[in-house]
Amino acid sequence: MRPDTWRMFVDPAILRFFGNGLMETISLSLAAIVLSFVIALVFAFGRLSKRPWIRWPSIAYIEGIRALPVLLLIVYFGIKGSALFRPVFGPEFELSRYWAGVLGLSLYTSAVLAEIIRAGIVSLPRGQTEASRALGLSHAQSMRHVILPQALRLMVPAMMAQLTTIIKDTSLVGTIGVFELVRQGRVVYTQFFNPIEVFLFVAAIYFVICFALSQASRRLEVGYTPKAARAKIREVQLRDQAA
Amino acid sequence: MGIIGEFSELYLFPNGLFITIQLAITSLLGSLVLGTVIALFRIAPLVPLRWLGGGYVEFFRNTPLLVQLFFLYFATPYIGIYLGEPDTFGFRAAALGLTLYHAAYVAEIVRGGLLAVDKGQIEAARSLGLTYLGMLREVQLPQTFRAVIPPLGNIGIALVKNTSLAATIGVADLLFAGDIVESRTFRAEEAYAAVAILYLSLTIPLGILVNYLEKRMLVAR
Repeated sequence: MRPDTWRMFVDPAILRFFGNGLMETISLSLAAIVLSFVIALVFAFGRLSKRPWIRWPSIAYIEGIRALPVLLLIVYFGIKGSALFRPVFGPEFELSRYWAGVLGLSLYTSAVLAEIIRAGIVSLPRGQTEASRALGLSHAQSMRHVILPQALRLMVPAMMAQLTTIIKDTSLVGTIGVFELVRQGRVVYTQFFNPIEVFLFVAAIYFVICFALSQASRRLEVGYTPKAARAKIREVQLRDQAA
Repeated sequence: MGIIGEFSELYLFPNGLFITIQLAITSLLGSLVLGTVIALFRIAPLVPLRWLGGGYVEFFRNTPLLVQLFFLYFATPYIGIYLGEPDTFGFRAAALGLTLYHAAYVAEIVRGGLLAVDKGQIEAARSLGLTYLGMLREVQLPQTFRAVIPPLGNIGIALVKNTSLAATIGVADLLFAGDIVESRTFRAEEAYAAVAILYLSLTIPLGILVNYLEKRMLVAR
């Protein structure tokens, strides 16, 4: 390999350039996981609802969005995001590419998280709900004070695993022009003509972050999540972690 | 003017769908073979082989597929790896990238299946005089394949969705068709709705099939 093409990686200006991309990647992932968690809670409960006019739309949303490529959602919001929100925020509204990306990622992740949350809730023993109802709590109260706190605790490892998926998926937001890590990498290699070095470097950064997160999640999972819930969550993740 | 009249590029959708299916089938077959080999590495009695398998799985699972595709597409010409003529290069790079990436996931599933086979059977087969490879072929692998079909179906669904990333390296797949139609007609809603429906027409039946197989497996046990 040509030795001089590695020298740029000790240049502070180049490293700062990659650093900016990394910050963008991290900020995208955090924004996406927070937003998707909020949406996911709504649809997880929607799917568990006894009222068919709430349950069926929730099922349609979850299964429909999960079956779509996340890149399609990101590209769609990148092109049509502004027009979509103009009826709400006025005719001058421009959705930035950053938020278009967050929206695309969140929509997709919310469907996955909703399934994971549902798996957590369903795997709790029935006695928990029955006991809290028998003690006089309403359905909403028993969900809020008894079921949800336990279910969410079960799901901490699964959420961390999902965060690694989101971090990997933020690379797709580069395609609509957000300058995250991969996009910065493309800018650098078109200047220095060293795609091998640049993409290995970028891959290494992703690897360090995602490997640490997935190891931590696996450590936590053992003895933390009961076997039944783990199997259900695994099944949900299989289809989506590979995304 | 009717929508069909504006869509003189309508033929792009079936073409894109065909490329997407082609890409998905090629990479699925590739990743099944490669993934099984890596799973065998991961449970091999030789420690270096296990490290190799483990390293492969961790590397490909913890880096974005897009980076792997970009590496194959933009960097391989610099190392002198020849993947094909300009017209086939993108497709081959995409198929190779998708194969390598999903093989890591397939390997994890197959490994789980291999480890789930009763240890007594393995010991019995070995003590009956079968070699290690003979035991794998006659005893351990056949039982594994049956058990791992439903989870592999889930990987297949993920793979179909992930073929959309090939559009970023210029493969004329379904998403790419949508991009072209959108840029020529400025009708993003219709173009991407068509793409979405075509993707759903692939992934939803697959999902139903996987659920059905899962149920049947449960009954069979």
